[in-house]
Amino acid sequence: MTPIIETHELSKSFKDFKAVDKLSFSIRRGDVYGFLGQNGAGKSTTMRMLLGLIFPDSGSILINGNEFNNGRRDLLSSIGAIIERPDMYGYLSGWDNLKIFAALSGGKIPTSRLHEVLEVVGLKGREKDKVKAYSQGMKQRLGIAIALVHQPDLLILDEPTNGLDPQGIAEMRQLIVSLSKDHGKTILISSHLLAEIEQMATRMIIIHKGHKVVEGAVGSLLNPDETLVEVITNKDASIKGKLAASEWQKTIKTIEDKLITFKMNPANTPALNRWLVAQNIDVLEIRSKHSLEEYFLSLTNDTVTKN
Amino acid sequence: MMKRLVLLAGIFCLLATSVWAIEANELFNTMRTKVLSVKDYTADVKMKIDVTYMRIPQLKGTLYFKSPDKMRLERHGGLSIFPKKNINLTLSNLIPTGQVAVLDLGPTTRNGKKLRVLKVIPEDEQGNIVLTKIWIDETNLLAVRTETTTRNDGTVIMDLEFGNYIPFGLPDKVTIFMDVKDYKLPKGVAMDYNDDHINDTKPKDGKGTKGTIQIQYLKYTINTGLKDDIFKGKKGEE
Amino acid sequence: MIQLLRIELYKIFKRPRTYISFGIVAAITFVIQLAMLTDGKTFIGFAIQGINEQFDIQGNMLNGYLVTYIILQSLLIHIPLLVALVAGDSLAGEANMGTLRLLLTKPITRPKLVLIKFVSSFLYTVLLIIWLAVVALFFSILLFGTGDMINLKSEAFIMILKDDVLWRYFAAFGFATLAMTTIASLALMLSAFADNSIGPIISTMGIVVVLTILSNLEIPLFSHIKPYLFTTHMIGWKGFFDEPIPYAAIGKSCMVLVAYTVGFLATTIFYFNRKDIKT
Repeated sequence: MTPIIETHELSKSFKDFKAVDKLSFSIRRGDVYGFLGQNGAGKSTTMRMLLGLIFPDSGSILINGNEFNNGRRDLLSSIGAIIERPDMYGYLSGWDNLKIFAALSGGKIPTSRLHEVLEVVGLKGREKDKVKAYSQGMKQRLGIAIALVHQPDLLILDEPTNGLDPQGIAEMRQLIVSLSKDHGKTILISSHLLAEIEQMATRMIIIHKGHKVVEGAVGSLLNPDETLVEVITNKDASIKGKLAASEWQKTIKTIEDKLITFKMNPANTPALNRWLVAQNIDVLEIRSKHSLEEYFLSLTNDTVTKN
Repeated sequence: MMKRLVLLAGIFCLLATSVWAIEANELFNTMRTKVLSVKDYTADVKMKIDVTYMRIPQLKGTLYFKSPDKMRLERHGGLSIFPKKNINLTLSNLIPTGQVAVLDLGPTTRNGKKLRVLKVIPEDEQGNIVLTKIWIDETNLLAVRTETTTRNDGTVIMDLEFGNYIPFGLPDKVTIFMDVKDYKLPKGVAMDYNDDHINDTKPKDGKGTKGTIQIQYLKYTINTGLKDDIFKGKKGEE
Repeated sequence: MIQLLRIELYKIFKRPRTYISFGIVAAITFVIQLAMLTDGKTFIGFAIQGINEQFDIQGNMLNGYLVTYIILQSLLIHIPLLVALVAGDSLAGEANMGTLRLLLTKPITRPKLVLIKFVSSFLYTVLLIIWLAVVALFFSILLFGTGDMINLKSEAFIMILKDDVLWRYFAAFGFATLAMTTIASLALMLSAFADNSIGPIISTMGIVVVLTILSNLEIPLFSHIKPYLFTTHMIGWKGFFDEPIPYAAIGKSCMVLVAYTVGFLATTIFYFNRKDIKT
């Protein structure tokens, strides 16, 4: 199957700053494709290039196998997008904004569809209010409504949960999952939070400083057997020996003072806990995180220390 | 013999001139009486002012005149523009009144017409008119041209053409030539666009220039006893 | 195209800012009219002093036609600011608001968007000039009546007959629309360069002010470039109140203004078509 989007060695610099560097990836029809990277990693620049807002210095973008510039018009009528903040005409009502962007989306869109999409994003009843009176979450939902109104095949959502409260984030997640599952949309979603991508995406890419770090199916990249389970105990000199003699020995990754890190499927955590208690070892805390997350966090630290 | 002859000739000449002088005096007075016999008139006119710095279209209106010096152009709501001179644009005002000395400058021909030229000097030395030269058509007793030197307003030349109102001595067309001072609105007050073509018509000497005013009289109503009120009118926006 | 234009106009006329211009035009006009009602005669007296020494002018000189001219003379210098308020905002304002990126992810080509912005700025300009015609001409006639119009130039006194005036105003308003369209295209071009709307509005005004000063400076150095400055030609509407009307000069001015407008518009399309949208 031809990928819906395929990039090849896409590069873009702003003056001396290389925002995107030879980035190649592909998105297949039906994917919820996670775009993971720190702020400034080049996610937005890449998404803008996919939408024709920014022109690449080199490399190519193929849309449904066609050169980007050839079918730009048709392509854009089948894309819905939110890029960074969902900015609208604040002095117009939500309804006016929706109507304007619907009209610009090519093709005639019946009023019933506008109502329908407002229902989907949960803005029904507030559509006559001026957008400047909307909360961030409402604006974000209106942004989604605008992105959805012309029934595009592909949604490009740049950090759609940005600025939302926890409730809003949960709702947005549900919405995106439902758009994929129930409406069959292909979705490209970016985030700087692995957990978010993990919960929504089927495939993902991590980019760092404009480079691709890793790309693949979320299931394989986030293999549960690769989970790091960290146990904090009270210091017990006998612990090393007890562990060495046990079946847990092969899962141990590191032992540093009170912190023991295991690499295993988190499903085995209760068994581990029971065993530790049975050995009279006091367990102060058990937590788990994926190795990819650790890796991802190390990128963050890298960025932080360099900055 | 020779001496006598010269004397005789001298006397003859003297006599002749005095006879002519009387004749000239008479001619002037008769003509003046005729001119002054029109106490007032109302006339439909077309007026064209031709002064380099004034670009005014032909003005149609009604001209009111009352002897000796009242004149007013009524333009039915429009603007009327008249030279602001002590002299008015009427013959009666350019011909000296009162005691005058008349000199005969002899016959001349103008536009194929035989004319007599008189020089009239008012005895009143305080008046505005210093002297007037008048070209007279003797057959019709009409002044067809006057050249008046004034104390305050320079020289004013008036050409008159007659037709329908000869019996009243009223012209069909009058052309007045007069001196006009130069005019300039300071830059900044007016913002000009395309001032190129103005420079072409700018007088070269930069001091003064000649202006022409042409009045065509279409229809006169004479001596109806106009009231003075008519001439009061609105007095500009001074 | 028509629908896009309708949307654009809807956006413009839904904004309170748009009406500021109409308010300003009305306010300045009414102030001048009020001043003319109270002090107009003194003003005229002062203005025609030079003429009055030699000519006696009678009749209602302070009529609606003259008052309109006085209003246009002082107001048409400021209208560029009002035009820039909308045209300078048209692209940069959307960039600033962030709506430009959403707009450009819709299936509209950028040249088309620029053209729509230009046409809507033009229509706004037309409406502003019509509004000016209504408040300046219509209300002045209502307040002061009509009559023969006098026009004072630095070296000439011009009088135009009552029946000959009105068409000149329509021609002048038409010319003013062209001149203001040039300003609109300049503002639009600067708007494409910028990502906030204050910049293009201020720059448009700055350019107009500086060039107007150059256009009016009587310095030989500038006299060579003067004919090429669009500001020199923006006051071409005055030509219609001259006698005889300098049609050749007006035609040349129109051509210069059209050339500038096309130039600005082409530059805008060329630049905007390759611009990275980063806001």
